[in-house]
Amino acid sequence: MTDLSASGAARKSSLVTLDDRTRRRNAAERRFRAYGVAAIATAALALAILLVTIVGNGVGAFRQTFVTIPVTLDAQQLDPAGNRDRGEMSGVLTLAYGGLLNQSLRQSIEGAGIEVEGLTDRDIDDLISKDAPAQIRNRVLANPDLVGQTVEVAVLTNGRVDGYYKGRVSLASAANDGNTSPQQLALADALKERGLLATKWNWAFLTNPDASDQRPEAAGVGIAILGSLYMMLVVLFLAVPIGVAASIYLEEFAPKNRLTDVIEVNIANLAAVPSIVFGILGLAAFINFAGLPQSAPIVGGLVLVLMTLPTIIISTRAALKAVPPSIRDAALGVGASRMQTVFHHVLPLALPGILTGTIIGLAQALGETAPLLLIGMVAFVRNFPAAPPEGLFDPASALPVQVYNWTQRADPAFFERASGAIIVLLVLLLCMNLLAIYLRRRFERRW
Amino acid sequence: MNDMSIMERAVSQTDIKISARDVQVWYGEKHAIKDVNIDILDKTVTAFIGPSGCGKSTFLRCINRMNDTIDICRVQGLIALDGEDIYDRRVDPVQLRAKVGMVFQKPNPFPKSIYDNVAYGPRIHGLVRNKAETDEIVEKSLRGAALWNEVKDRLQEPGTGLSGGQQQRLCIARAVATQPEVLLMDEPCSALDPIATSQVEDLIDKLRANFSVVIVTHSMQQAARVSQKTAFFHLGNLVEHGDTDDIFTNPQDPRTESYISGKIG
Amino acid sequence: MPVFWIVSIVLVLAVAGYVAAKARVLKLAGGDSRRLHSRHVYYGWYGALLVATPALLVLAAWMAAQPVVIDRGIAADLPPSVMREGVNPAIVVQDVRRTATALSQGLREGVLTRTDLADAAAQAETLRPRLTEAGIRLPPAASEPAMLGAGGEYRARQVAGHWAMTGVVLLLAVGGLVLGHRQSQPQTRARNLVERFVKAALITCSSIAILTTAGIVLSMVFESAQFFRQYAWTDFFFGTTWSPRFGGGSQLGILPLLWGTLYISAIALVVAVPIGLFAAIYMSEYASNRVRSFVKPTIEVLAGIPTIVYGLFALMTVGPMLRDWFAQPLGLGSSGSSVMTAGLVMGIMLIPFVSSLSDDIINAVPQSLRDGALGLGSTQSETVRKVVLPAALPGIVGAVLLAASRAIGETMIVVMGAGAAAKMDLNPFEAMTTITVKIVSQLTGDTDFNSAETLVAFALGLSLFVITLILNIVALYVVRKYREQYE
Repeated sequence: MTDLSASGAARKSSLVTLDDRTRRRNAAERRFRAYGVAAIATAALALAILLVTIVGNGVGAFRQTFVTIPVTLDAQQLDPAGNRDRGEMSGVLTLAYGGLLNQSLRQSIEGAGIEVEGLTDRDIDDLISKDAPAQIRNRVLANPDLVGQTVEVAVLTNGRVDGYYKGRVSLASAANDGNTSPQQLALADALKERGLLATKWNWAFLTNPDASDQRPEAAGVGIAILGSLYMMLVVLFLAVPIGVAASIYLEEFAPKNRLTDVIEVNIANLAAVPSIVFGILGLAAFINFAGLPQSAPIVGGLVLVLMTLPTIIISTRAALKAVPPSIRDAALGVGASRMQTVFHHVLPLALPGILTGTIIGLAQALGETAPLLLIGMVAFVRNFPAAPPEGLFDPASALPVQVYNWTQRADPAFFERASGAIIVLLVLLLCMNLLAIYLRRRFERRW
Repeated sequence: MNDMSIMERAVSQTDIKISARDVQVWYGEKHAIKDVNIDILDKTVTAFIGPSGCGKSTFLRCINRMNDTIDICRVQGLIALDGEDIYDRRVDPVQLRAKVGMVFQKPNPFPKSIYDNVAYGPRIHGLVRNKAETDEIVEKSLRGAALWNEVKDRLQEPGTGLSGGQQQRLCIARAVATQPEVLLMDEPCSALDPIATSQVEDLIDKLRANFSVVIVTHSMQQAARVSQKTAFFHLGNLVEHGDTDDIFTNPQDPRTESYISGKIG
Repeated sequence: MPVFWIVSIVLVLAVAGYVAAKARVLKLAGGDSRRLHSRHVYYGWYGALLVATPALLVLAAWMAAQPVVIDRGIAADLPPSVMREGVNPAIVVQDVRRTATALSQGLREGVLTRTDLADAAAQAETLRPRLTEAGIRLPPAASEPAMLGAGGEYRARQVAGHWAMTGVVLLLAVGGLVLGHRQSQPQTRARNLVERFVKAALITCSSIAILTTAGIVLSMVFESAQFFRQYAWTDFFFGTTWSPRFGGGSQLGILPLLWGTLYISAIALVVAVPIGLFAAIYMSEYASNRVRSFVKPTIEVLAGIPTIVYGLFALMTVGPMLRDWFAQPLGLGSSGSSVMTAGLVMGIMLIPFVSSLSDDIINAVPQSLRDGALGLGSTQSETVRKVVLPAALPGIVGAVLLAASRAIGETMIVVMGAGAAAKMDLNPFEAMTTITVKIVSQLTGDTDFNSAETLVAFALGLSLFVITLILNIVALYVVRKYREQYE
């Protein structure tokens, strides 16, 4: 039975020469390692392609093509009563402003000595965005004293001309396009040569409301950002206190019994319920049953509260669990009640962890789309919601939903807008995550 | 020091299995082993003793290059197995570990059947070609580890279901099945009760007939019971080594003496 | 009085309760707080809670109950000319409510007077044009004079209920103030009472999770039951055609949707599981700390990207690319949205999910097992394949199940990448659709909550919920058992 070394001695070989088997095994080892590297490289590559395409498509939304022309704001047309009263002037429709704009544009073209070939007056007018008259009107209503003056205005060009300078539209594609023509683009080129037309940075993308199908150039994420912000407020003021309170109870006070077991399993499962199910719940409970308005940030916020609660509870409990029991013993040992122990000692120590978890929960809620579709947040909203709390009940959009909304439109210019909105969304998420990382680093405690 | 002279000496004295010269080990900034020189004989049980943190386990793990798996660990100096430098660039640690087996402090059977645990080594090293050969080597190894009679009827049950002492003997059988030349044991009895310990100690004594056994222990009684040679480590230095009887009855170094008499450690 | 003011008054009274209780108890103790059972702030809090809690609870309950009670009462009192046979009572009541809202608005804008309202039915002919002139719209059903009468009655009850509520709530708050004053005695165990209240509040918060689940189940079961009353359940669960027609005669079989869902999820898992698993293995077994410190965050970035971004990626980049490079040259189809597009992108989305779960699970395998295998002369890959992975298998199975549940419930990627055609086909370059896509399409836009075509979304949601719930429960159970094994 101890005859073990006999065969061992038989294969006595030098260590420095590799036998065939070892060589084969080492090759397998290298292959296996290569699979690992390939897997990571694939993931990183996918991330890179994703970010590059989105950012590449989206930066265009932050630049827009404008025509700069002097416009004479004719007092006769814009303020027939002549008393510069805002209420009366708001009776003047955008149509009048449009007429003035068209006139000014034609004059500018003439003044610059550009020969217009093969274009009707209408075609020339179409160079300007259909949203431009409304923008001038808003500007005049905000400052009625402008009436009667001649002001330099930079007005948006239409989406096709803008697309031409961003590479989306070419002379060839314009030939088959009902909304523009090679001649119109040639005119734009001529204006550009004379410095009247330029593509420049466009802050309005961040502040404008959505625009209709024919005016992609005027669409912005203003209402969407505001709507998302409102919903985040709701989540912050409801999900965080409720989540932290629930975690404190479950972690510090709850007896180990059937009920708390059920609650725990329940929370773990809720965290994995598809988000669209929460949308159905929101539709059935908040809109159909409770009668809250559709498209309102309050409803979106409530749905997101229910969705983020499990995330917040799970991370808060982990933070509470990380506080060593010795701290609790010390507080109880000097005669503090359990409640005092928790609120005076455990909670402050767990706070950084709770904050980090909360921010990550909020970030998740900010990017969520599917449930918001069901509660009507896809609606087309042109009016900014009022300030909270009443504004919470006004219709609004949300950033991710606005993205979805724009992808459903026919004009490819909206795809650029959608990618631009994604950039805004990703920047917000990045800031939140950086804040979470900062908090974790700054307050990290080792016991 | 001239490497060749060591090589020649090592080869000329065939009963020397492992020789170490000027071995230094660093864990990051920590100098864990300093200037260790020792020869380990074939078919002998050598015990490494010393207080905890003295480097005895670290040095043991150098002998089959298990320290390679730790990123921050650096080894300098020469360790030769049968006259060949095991830290040579051309040496594959995998091949080395097939020759220098290891048993760990805590029994660590794989979550597989007893049979598969023992057959694992022979299979990966290609020592067996068919079921019959595997059966044979499993039986031989389990017998060698004095476990056969206890488990022969339940070879397909999971190894994790055995008692602690049985698990450790299973791990020894698993190491033996690979047919190594040296068997390293890192405090193999520290997780076992006294009865299991004495069974494993009996087994170590038997293994001496075929292998060079190196055992790390913090129990001086165990060292005295199972080893022929003893080496005493202290703060990363090899203080003293020689015949077990000599070390325990007539230590040369005051540090050894105070450790043996229980003053340090 | 608007609810905002009621709440404000209650809160002011609560502050008064705080101050009063604190002052009184200190006075009774002769200014020596050591003679009190608790610290004096606790008496203040107790006083404040006695004022605010009952009042606000009743306020909330009243506001929830009043519409229901009034709806019921109105529905019972409606004349047959309004409440016609065969018309859903809920819709009639909704019209009454809208009429009431329009009448209130008219009153607020000075178009109507209170006397007009009291006898709205009789003055229907004069009321309607006055409202229309002010730009206030009445529901079409209000052409019936009785409807206007019911609307006036509804408004009257609403107003009466509101005043009753205001009175009861304010009375309760004042009562709490008096009670707090009486109970402010030095021997009152104020701290214990306040703590008991806080604990009750904490328990309430923890039960919201349960309430959410109950809400989900109830809302879907209730609406699904209505659906199955209109549409046979056998046709729903075993029907192989999905073609909703709003004119009637819809075929609403779930099988094509289920097929699309499972097909896309399978492709996603085929992409995500190997990549995620190998990435996790490489990171936990091979990568140095330095490599790990930047690869891990990179992969986690993928997890932090919202699904709408993946959806856009599918729609703009992956879909056209697959169509131009694979589907069209191979003659397999000409659609940008396809099973393959959605599956591929969803796979990318799931990579970090699989890899971080697997990473946790692989790290839970004790180091001693790796040492054992390496000590026997295994290469690292042999250690991983023959020891670590088999030991981690249950946990990894759990992780894959969780990933599958994620894939099945994913919405935006499939809405934007998979298409809307419900069919059962094997060609992965064909557009197909999923359960989630159809939930979205049936519930967005103008929906009529009484038609089978809308209600089917709730049945789909319920099916989705049940499928993912089962997957989650099994997965969480498997993972928990696995962890216990190595703890």
